[in-house]
Amino acid sequence: MLQVEHLTKIYPDGTVALRDVNFTVEEGEFLVIIGLSGSGKSTLLRCINRLVEPTEGRILWNGRDITQANQAELRMIRREIGMIFQHFNLVRRSSVMTNVLSGRLGYTPPAWSLVNRYRRADRQRAVQALARVGIPDKAQNRADQLSGGQQQRVGIARALMQEPKMILADEPVASLDPVLAHSILGYLEKINQEDNVTILCSLHFLDLVQRYASKVIGLREGRLVFEGDSEDIRQMSDERFREIYGEEAERLGA
Amino acid sequence: MSDYQSTEKRPSLIHGLLSFILPGLGQMIAGQWARGISLLISVIVLGFLSIWTIAQRARFPDYEVSTRVFILLLLQAGALLVFLIALRYLLGRFFIKDVSGQALTQVGLGIFYVLTLLLVADSLIAAAGSASDISQVFGSTGVLAAGALAAFWFWQASDAARIGADIAVPSMIPAVLIACVLIFVLGWNITKIDLPKAVREYRDTQVILRRIVWPWQSAFEYETQAVEVSAKIQAPCPEGAEGPPANQPQEDEAYIIVTPTCGELTERTLTGSIELGTELSIVGGNFAPGSTVEILWKNPIGNPFRPRGVGETTIQVGPDGSFVTNLNIPSAVIPDTAAGAQIHTLIVRQESAVVFTGNLSREMNLALVGMLETIMLGLMATFFGIILAVPISFLAARNLMSPIVTTLSGVAGGLLLMVPALWLAFIGTNQISGRIGGLEGAPLVTASTAILLVAALGTLGWRTGSWGMRTLGERAPDILSRVVTALVFGILGAALGYGLGTGFSRGILSIPLGPEAAAQLETRTAIAGAILLGTLSLVYAYRQGVHGEISIGIVVYAIVRTLMNIIRSIEPLIWALVGIIWIGPGPFAGTIALTIHTVAALGKLYSESIESIDPGPIEAIQATGANRIQTIMYAVVPQVLPPFISFTIYRWDINVRLSTIIGLVGGGGIGFILIQWIRQFQYEPAGIAVWLITITVAALDYISSEIRERFV
Repeated sequence: MLQVEHLTKIYPDGTVALRDVNFTVEEGEFLVIIGLSGSGKSTLLRCINRLVEPTEGRILWNGRDITQANQAELRMIRREIGMIFQHFNLVRRSSVMTNVLSGRLGYTPPAWSLVNRYRRADRQRAVQALARVGIPDKAQNRADQLSGGQQQRVGIARALMQEPKMILADEPVASLDPVLAHSILGYLEKINQEDNVTILCSLHFLDLVQRYASKVIGLREGRLVFEGDSEDIRQMSDERFREIYGEEAERLGA
Repeated sequence: MSDYQSTEKRPSLIHGLLSFILPGLGQMIAGQWARGISLLISVIVLGFLSIWTIAQRARFPDYEVSTRVFILLLLQAGALLVFLIALRYLLGRFFIKDVSGQALTQVGLGIFYVLTLLLVADSLIAAAGSASDISQVFGSTGVLAAGALAAFWFWQASDAARIGADIAVPSMIPAVLIACVLIFVLGWNITKIDLPKAVREYRDTQVILRRIVWPWQSAFEYETQAVEVSAKIQAPCPEGAEGPPANQPQEDEAYIIVTPTCGELTERTLTGSIELGTELSIVGGNFAPGSTVEILWKNPIGNPFRPRGVGETTIQVGPDGSFVTNLNIPSAVIPDTAAGAQIHTLIVRQESAVVFTGNLSREMNLALVGMLETIMLGLMATFFGIILAVPISFLAARNLMSPIVTTLSGVAGGLLLMVPALWLAFIGTNQISGRIGGLEGAPLVTASTAILLVAALGTLGWRTGSWGMRTLGERAPDILSRVVTALVFGILGAALGYGLGTGFSRGILSIPLGPEAAAQLETRTAIAGAILLGTLSLVYAYRQGVHGEISIGIVVYAIVRTLMNIIRSIEPLIWALVGIIWIGPGPFAGTIALTIHTVAALGKLYSESIESIDPGPIEAIQATGANRIQTIMYAVVPQVLPPFISFTIYRWDINVRLSTIIGLVGGGGIGFILIQWIRQFQYEPAGIAVWLITITVAALDYISSEIRERFV
């Protein structure tokens, strides 16, 4: 269970990205975060694994306070939280296999990983992960030879290597076309249901939100302005919608 | 509307006049301070520069004379300009009314001014001072400079008049152009440009140039083959003696036949009279047709010499290879003990054409060895450069260093334990190296032991110290770690202040006070510095408190970057001088010089390519729970490898070029030999060296661009 309490992030240049955000995610939830770009979605996700240092507040994960963890403890927490990104963030010049295996770095002795050595079990796991996302034949290709959808699948495979209890997905389908978006979110849904992995995912399109979310939160200018399930999204009035997306926003897709 | 008004406005005479008296004054009064001051400074600088330049004609420049001459020239040029401006004014007033005509007269004025100046230059110079004065200065440069300065002066006066009348601020372009002309005139003189000389000397150059351009004859060894034929002659010749038997003609080798084979030596008396010896007739055959042969005489002791005063000794061989000549037997000093008949030898020697042996000459060998030394020098410097620059470049990459943040107390604890740890490392190195023969006996083991111990113990000390302080901060009351932190920083600041104070007294105070007086003050300035900086850092550390975070990464980044910038901005040539003072002339000094520069240059290139990588993979790898080294290995290294390789090869290319230059000042390699050959006027060997350098550099250039193309 993830509890976010009074989370505030102020960047050194004075930008307030998050203001006193509170919410709770149960285990096995598919939480979708909606909001305009710049509303703090990415910052929120990055505060959870402390790629961004929170300014104030607590993030309790299964009772442990992530914000108080020292570097060694933080690495232990991070290796249980997978992350996938809008721009995939693969090492483009390395092979797909190397990229997938790098998901195992948190479990590998540092000296081993310097010489690119992994346990045999990890290598098998990588092959399985690639098979699970449907690209078992791409293992030896260079990452930048793959199409966008394939690269994002490598990203998911990398996250799977961590045997995650939770996956943070920062706009995972924003760089992909709608058909691919369903395919990628389908993999996330499968992981969510089959492995009981909690998913925190930021999304733009409301039809995707309705289709995949078990719970939804909305951010606007760093504040939590909406909390509900996908049914609430379906029923959402135009006023409520404007509260999240601002006055000029038009309702698309839903 | 404003345009209309501006044409109505008349230039302000008073501002123009003020600027005419003191350049820039009118502009300053009109409120254009920067413009006025820069004009004033320009006039002063240009004026002094002109006076200084024209005075350089004299062996012992007399600036009083040159000032006087220049001012007179300036006044004359000014007068000429006044006359021309008045002429143009009248023309514009009465004859040319339209605007384009006005513009034309403005350009015409300029051209006419320059032409007139050139035409009357001689009379202007003649009027500028006495003949001896004028012989002390560069007159023609003076005229042109004075003309330009006068134009500048008038321009700024008219500028002031327009600015004073609040007409739109005129463009500075004419002033800049005039100033450029003036500086061009002075520069022409200062750099002693002499086009006729370049043409005149060209013919003489050709002889030398040809030897440099095609020096390959002296790249090989030649042997001269000599053909020597001799005939025996007895002297003196007592009655009845017949002498040795005469030679016989040979079929296929050179021969001489001398008749008779017995005769008397030439006698030279003390009074100077000469009694010539017996005349010999020499017939030669089978020599190289058309060549010359030389006749030598060898006395019984065996010393050949060229006989003098007894006939021709250099003989032209006929087209059939034969010759005929006569020679009197020369005088030869015979020791008394060897009185009596002796056998002398007449030798005919032919220096035949030089023979190509196919061996490389000594110079060529030297040049080849030097070239190899140069290439290796560049290679070694690049190699050491890479080893040092790679770790340094990570410290100098902002994107990697800026997230590294630590607490002040952590730094204090780290320093507290790192200093004794480094001391331990030093002791340990001494102990170990002492057992295996010291730095001289086992340099590599000693060096690697030192590096390993310093790195390991230093890191250990730092980590333990900062961990200790963190634990102290968590367990004990805050005030304790606060005090410890403050004390550590206080001591650190005091040490720094002591050093700076000493340096201040030695480096700065000793300039006006002299070394003795400064030495007396040294202790006091050092203590003052220690107290000042110590207190400051103590107070700072105390106020920052235990949890005050400092970006240690950025501090390290800034220090490394600054050091690299300083090192890089000092030319490799200067580093070579440092190396030569340190090590003495030779390739090792050159290697050190190039390595130092390479580290700084590569460090900058490397760190910039690290800074320009995609940050996404770093984020992704960090999110998997990887530590810092794993993140660098997996997210940074794959991205920076291609640029690193490319920059490295590029630098190797540069280093080989630089190492030839460094050789010129004594850094070893081919440059070292080349400069000696040039100074000894040995142009062929110098040409060989130049050829080798050119070939090597071109080849490297090609190879490096080929390799780099494959990687990028």
